[in-house]
Amino acid sequence: MANQLIEAGSNGHQQPALNDSQNLVEARGLKMYFPITKGLFSRVVGYTKAVDDVSFDIRAGETLGLVGESGCGKTTVGRCLVRAYQPTAGEIIYRKAVDLTKDAQKRQFSSHGFKHNDPSSQDQTIDLATLTGRQLSPFRHEVRMIFQDPYSSLNPRMTVFENITEALRNSGMRSRREMKERAGYLLKRVGLRPEYMVRYPHAFSGGERQRVVIARALVTNPRLIIADEAVSALDVSVRAQILNLLEELQSDFKLTYLFISHDLSVIRHICDRVIVMYVGKIVEVAEGLDIYTNPKHPYTEALMSAVPVANPRQRKQNQRIYLEGEVADPSNPPSGCYFHPRCQYAKDQCKTETPELKDMGNGHFSACHFAGELNLRGAVMS
Amino acid sequence: MTEPLLEVSDLKIHFFTDEGVVKAVEGVDLVIERGKTLCLVGESGCGKSVASRAFMQIIRKPGKIVSGQMLFRRKSDDGTEEIIDLAKMDPKGYPIRQIRGKEISMIFQEPMTSLSLMHTVGHQITEMIRLHTDTTPTEAKVSAIKMLQRVGIPRPERLIDEYPFRLSGGMRQRVMIAMAMSCNPTMLIADEPTTALDVTTQAQILDLMLELQHDYGMALLFITHDLGVVAEIADDVAVMYLGRIVERGDADTVFNEPKHPYTQALLRSIPKIAMQRDELEPIKGMVPSPFRRPTGCQFHPRCAQRFNLCNQVEPANTHLNENHSVRCLLYEDAEARTSNAEAAAHG
Repeated sequence: MANQLIEAGSNGHQQPALNDSQNLVEARGLKMYFPITKGLFSRVVGYTKAVDDVSFDIRAGETLGLVGESGCGKTTVGRCLVRAYQPTAGEIIYRKAVDLTKDAQKRQFSSHGFKHNDPSSQDQTIDLATLTGRQLSPFRHEVRMIFQDPYSSLNPRMTVFENITEALRNSGMRSRREMKERAGYLLKRVGLRPEYMVRYPHAFSGGERQRVVIARALVTNPRLIIADEAVSALDVSVRAQILNLLEELQSDFKLTYLFISHDLSVIRHICDRVIVMYVGKIVEVAEGLDIYTNPKHPYTEALMSAVPVANPRQRKQNQRIYLEGEVADPSNPPSGCYFHPRCQYAKDQCKTETPELKDMGNGHFSACHFAGELNLRGAVMS
Repeated sequence: MTEPLLEVSDLKIHFFTDEGVVKAVEGVDLVIERGKTLCLVGESGCGKSVASRAFMQIIRKPGKIVSGQMLFRRKSDDGTEEIIDLAKMDPKGYPIRQIRGKEISMIFQEPMTSLSLMHTVGHQITEMIRLHTDTTPTEAKVSAIKMLQRVGIPRPERLIDEYPFRLSGGMRQRVMIAMAMSCNPTMLIADEPTTALDVTTQAQILDLMLELQHDYGMALLFITHDLGVVAEIADDVAVMYLGRIVERGDADTVFNEPKHPYTQALLRSIPKIAMQRDELEPIKGMVPSPFRRPTGCQFHPRCAQRFNLCNQVEPANTHLNENHSVRCLLYEDAEARTSNAEAAAHG
């Protein structure tokens, strides 16, 4: 079944078009099913629908937030975009840099820039979901990832220099002097001393390691960075440092971020737009402030009401919404709207019909049958 | 002020490692009151967990309580009230084992590592009940089911025969709470109990803990680094930095009129959900290595308000009013400051 879906999703030689020229990435109908196997011959008995028919845009230069509880598929979406996974179906349409060398120059470090495989190509867009192996390698430089745990994401047996420049070596750069220069420059940019590049990761604290991880992501002149819970494992004071650093780097290097997090206050701070996911589906998309003041999906409302407010005086203002039961199982989701068994506004229609993501105006989308009628409460503002 | 349940004074805990002595807790003074919630806040490595483990005498080797008192008020076996010093007790002795789990119990951050994988949920709870009370296995099972029901577990009579790996994170934490509450302790220590949970589950667990506290009247010592959680549940807040409590007061005062530069900086560095996107002001630098503690005030290398005395004089605890104390030279009056400086110069 999976293979058929992949074939159906690929579109041969046709040039996929973007809906909006401002978009850097458009994901359309993205699906990632993980097979559940059983028995001696690993018979496939079902699929875990980690990401189930998800479509969204990432605009160039923005920070897009992706929130949801654990198991909602937000990390899987990120991993599909960096093509750590082969999506089961769907398209990831990516706008190529107009002229790669020129674009790199704009992003400040052309002297150490890359020779991309096909600078002659005039194609404007490409579907990342169908590429394989070597075809992907130029895009591996443009879409990079920052992981949650800086203790496990750096190779402990490589020095910081080797960790940072591994991607350069893999793409055929041989000049050690050039790589040193570049690693030194990036370490300085992320607030570490260039001399530290000879050390091993164990000599650094959590916050410093996360800076190394950021330098490693930047080493290939990326355009899109997927930050998967990039600050969740850090202490409060260090978290603020890294958030500020990420914002600073974004404007200096013209980066686009997909910021995956479960922390709604961090998302509020850093994101321009927010996507809320629940059990593999997008339930709501809106501009940053809009989703906090004016949520249009009952799940978002419940999520907002659960966020602790950092002021004891506002304790009573917040009326918690209790979600009954547990998050649905993505291998055996409920009928209709996946959220209906826990939704306090659910009606009969919710049990049978799966809601589509509807445009509510002002770039606000909600996947709720009653999004227009419900009057939902926003987060308590401090 | 209600009567203190646990009075800690000048508690020092050192770890004697091969590389040197780590002073994890350097003179902590705390009062935990009956029926109230005290939140101990601080960044990782500030000694908040170590201090709380000391109250149950479960510090891991090579850690040791070097000095200090932990006066715990309890009902003795003959029914009269007595005050005992937990710091003097032998960690392996019989008396502390009578207190552990029965009068002071603890919930840990990661329920999967603190529950036994090899035993059923019911086995683990009834073991606790039977250790501390004189009950038959059937009675213990009945009260275990009752407790599981109390913490909001559906169909407890079925769940009692399940193994912990079959449960979700939130359910496991509920089991931990049921286990900790099963002997009706007078004090519950919760060490980051919601950090590993999702926000919606976290909200439910926090509300459950407050509800249980209200019903059973126990004191709650809540350890966390999440200031949002503190603001939700705390009556009193103690802020720790490098093994010392730098500020203590009721939640409203600490959040709205923080005095210590570290508390102020900490509050400015957390992102908030607000109409305007706020500028974050991170604290400069990082927590120093425990082997190289700064002289004078521990926070001075990162402090924006430091002055010439800060690297020489160790600030004493200054009481601003009955409920609010701070450990910073800015609030010590001039007299005390000079006498401290002289003492430092002579010593």
